[in-house]
Amino acid sequence: MTKGLAVLAFVLACSVPGTPLHAKDAATQAGLRLVSSSRAEARLIEIYRLTGNGHISEALTQARKLVQDHPNFQLAHLVYGDLLASRARPVRAIGDVPGPLDTSARSTLSALHHEAQMRIKALRERPPAHTIPSQFLALSPHVKHAIAIDASRSRLYLFANSEQGMTLLSDYYISVGKLGISKNVEGDRRTPLGVYFITNNLDPKSLGDFYGTGALPINYPNVLDTRRGKTGHGIWLHGTPPNQFSRAPRATDGCVVLANPDLNQIIRTVQVRATPVVISQRLEWVPEHSTVERRKPFEQVLTAWRNAKSSGDLNQLLSFYTADFNSHGKTLREWVPSLRNEVKRVRGRTIQLKDLSYLRWTDHADTMVVTFGEVPDGSRNGPTKRQYWIREGDQWKIFFEGVIG
Amino acid sequence: MLLLSVVVTPTRASTHDEVNALMRAGKFTVALDRANAYLNSQPRDPQMRFLKGVIQRESGQTSQAIATFTQLTRDYPQLPEPYNNLAVLYASQNEYEKARSALEMALRTNPSYATAHENLADVYAKLASQAYHKALQFDGNNTEVQPNLAMIREVFNTEAKGQSPILATAREVNRVEPASPSVEDPVRPSAANGIADEEVKSSVLAWAGAWASKSMKNYLGAYSPGYYPGNKSSRKQWEKERQQRILGKASISVQLENLEVQVQGDKARASFRQHYKADSFSASGLKVLELEKIGGRWLIVKEAIGD
Repeated sequence: MTKGLAVLAFVLACSVPGTPLHAKDAATQAGLRLVSSSRAEARLIEIYRLTGNGHISEALTQARKLVQDHPNFQLAHLVYGDLLASRARPVRAIGDVPGPLDTSARSTLSALHHEAQMRIKALRERPPAHTIPSQFLALSPHVKHAIAIDASRSRLYLFANSEQGMTLLSDYYISVGKLGISKNVEGDRRTPLGVYFITNNLDPKSLGDFYGTGALPINYPNVLDTRRGKTGHGIWLHGTPPNQFSRAPRATDGCVVLANPDLNQIIRTVQVRATPVVISQRLEWVPEHSTVERRKPFEQVLTAWRNAKSSGDLNQLLSFYTADFNSHGKTLREWVPSLRNEVKRVRGRTIQLKDLSYLRWTDHADTMVVTFGEVPDGSRNGPTKRQYWIREGDQWKIFFEGVIG
Repeated sequence: MLLLSVVVTPTRASTHDEVNALMRAGKFTVALDRANAYLNSQPRDPQMRFLKGVIQRESGQTSQAIATFTQLTRDYPQLPEPYNNLAVLYASQNEYEKARSALEMALRTNPSYATAHENLADVYAKLASQAYHKALQFDGNNTEVQPNLAMIREVFNTEAKGQSPILATAREVNRVEPASPSVEDPVRPSAANGIADEEVKSSVLAWAGAWASKSMKNYLGAYSPGYYPGNKSSRKQWEKERQQRILGKASISVQLENLEVQVQGDKARASFRQHYKADSFSASGLKVLELEKIGGRWLIVKEAIGD
């Protein structure tokens, strides 16, 4: 069946370069592990699979249903167009649109190719079982969910977290900045990289159509970003306008954009202020059981800091802070009096770090974002604090400390 | 498009032929009156109802034509032509999904119905184009032309096989008188006839070869300058349409089986079973070519398909 073969070729054509894999294997593999992923995407991949296996009629029927259910899903229209066209002529590649295309149509088409490629890639290159992104060194069981974004796969991974550890719940196709990642200055149309937290859940009624069914701002620029002189603001996770089911892999002004059904699921799941959002160029997945071992060195550092603070030895305590420490604009010298007051209030009691979480962010520097409730023995509660640590040689030091709740 | 002309069968000057002739002459009102008068006494007659539908379409009464053909598909679901024409009408209203369904029905009743195959390919191409437009979010300004789908106008034969009217589009029309020797055409040496036969055969094969190799110059050159495409379109339109159809295919294969040739003077008739394959579809069917020797070459003056 020549048309089956012709279309098979287009499925293969959009596979990841350098890792040739039969379309059938790829999609079957993807299909098997797809249960929790976006339903519309799963249907799209199933259409690719059917096409790759030469089941053109069935693929056509399913594509017709998919575009009926999601009339704004451009990629679904594209494969539907290919399948229809394959009835009248050979289709050589995904989106084998005939005729001369103007510049805008050509760039839309290449963006759709890119999107298809990213979706397939993310479904073929699955995180190994029982692994988590390396940034999550310690996550308090009170933090019920976590988000990790892999820009190289245009993918957002949503985790559940509990005493038993982290579990991957779902993952979703996402779009990032038009000019990619590593946001530096305001208006650079890039998505920031780092460890962030969801700061708010904006009422969709207060937003324009452009943002879809909602928006979850994150705390860009964070303390590390500010320290590095990065500028810009208003980085959100948000949805898509009514005429677009999803946007191109690189399409935003720096926000992370999800299809509305996917965003809705995330909005229903996450906790404002608690849910961490790690945005990475490429996530490194490490075995979850290795976490205990990997967190040990920093655990010791934290204990040493805690002991110093408990002991009331201010000089020893100050050795944990960088010279360029800054807390909401206060230099170390300006900040010492309040630290001294805190130490006085502790009165030598042992400090407990409750609900401790720490996420490691490593780029050209090695940093740690630490969150905990600081409760001296005998007290029922204490302030929730966040610290940013940086490794200087073999010494971890605090360059920011503040109360967040 | 392989569209067949409607030819009045000289031996059977029926009301059908008369209505047909009136329609061809553009006298739609009279033709429709005749058809209605006939249908008063023969209300189920599928041929006349079919003609009525064609007249309605030709005279711009699209919704009436749709009603006529829809009713025909209900009463004679085994006939592919009403489905085909229904599809043409739907397509003219940009209802391509409906056109697709109708053509698929036509092909269910007759899987080798070449016209429906070609029309369906056009409808698929149009649907694909619409899908691509949505995928690429072109602005609503769709400048693409509508596909030119072929309407079947023939009266089909209802005489065969009991109650079910059996399609006989091309078989009935374009019939050439049997090549019997006549006074004006004294018996020639058989060798001469043999040579003429071979000439015609090689012309037909050259025509098929030009078609399959998409050599438009040779393909169109195989037709006589006086060739009448038969679907009201001009020769020029027909050539353009053929060009689009043929060059639009990635690959074409045309095979002729049981090629038989009858030569009578400067006229010839070639009949054969044509196996046509283009890209994703194939169709087989009887084809009859009428040729005339013009300027030393055998050129096609009529082309007809049959089931």
